[in-house]
Amino acid sequence: MVIVQTERFDVAALTERLQAACVGRAGAYVHFIGTVRDFSPDSGSRSLFLEHYPGMCEREIQSLCAQAAQRWDILDTLVVHRVGELPLGDPIVFVGVASMHRSQAFRACEFLIDALKTRAPFWKRETLADGRTFWVQQQLADARKAAAWDEPAAPHSSHTG
Amino acid sequence: MNGSATIEVLYFARIAEQTGTRAETQALTAPIEAGAWLTALVRRYPGLEPIDRLKIAINQEYAGRAALIHPGDEVALFEPVTGG
Repeated sequence: MVIVQTERFDVAALTERLQAACVGRAGAYVHFIGTVRDFSPDSGSRSLFLEHYPGMCEREIQSLCAQAAQRWDILDTLVVHRVGELPLGDPIVFVGVASMHRSQAFRACEFLIDALKTRAPFWKRETLADGRTFWVQQQLADARKAAAWDEPAAPHSSHTG
Repeated sequence: MNGSATIEVLYFARIAEQTGTRAETQALTAPIEAGAWLTALVRRYPGLEPIDRLKIAINQEYAGRAALIHPGDEVALFEPVTGG
């Protein structure tokens, strides 16, 4: 399931929701939580604004979840992403993966957050302590990490137990 | 979509600031390659340069520069994404 919302999410409630959907089937759950950090440590951040493309965002993340399910032996995924004005330290994104075995869940979860960062149409605008604003630029390292999942040497389910 | 002679164009984030609008309807009577459409758009909005970094989505799916935009389509233009 994919949810885009402005409200702060409750991590415990999300993990329980994923577990409830996989009772008796899953043996491993991996959760990733991304939070608002300071993108310009020298100037001091005040907050982050997240804009998104409604509709395409959900479709794109759904498509990434389907890719993960094809690639690894996983049971379910839950992705929640926030938009709007977010203060420093607030959670931005939750990626939860349920699987029979941990290695599959770890890999699928890492793939999902890597792919989401370079595919899902969200944009961050940072407001500095002095009131100036700027749009955060995509990091080359993020683009490279996401692209690495498409390389032949990338971990697939056949390599894991 | 049938009978339409326009496309709905959406701009996001910094691109919306550069064009001064978030959405506009443009006339389009025949299919056009996304790359050609973007080249024409930049003449109206020179601030969009350089355009190599820009992403285009047609009907909410990523599209390459050779993809065709048809009358009735929803076309979006944006910078590389920064979510997560």
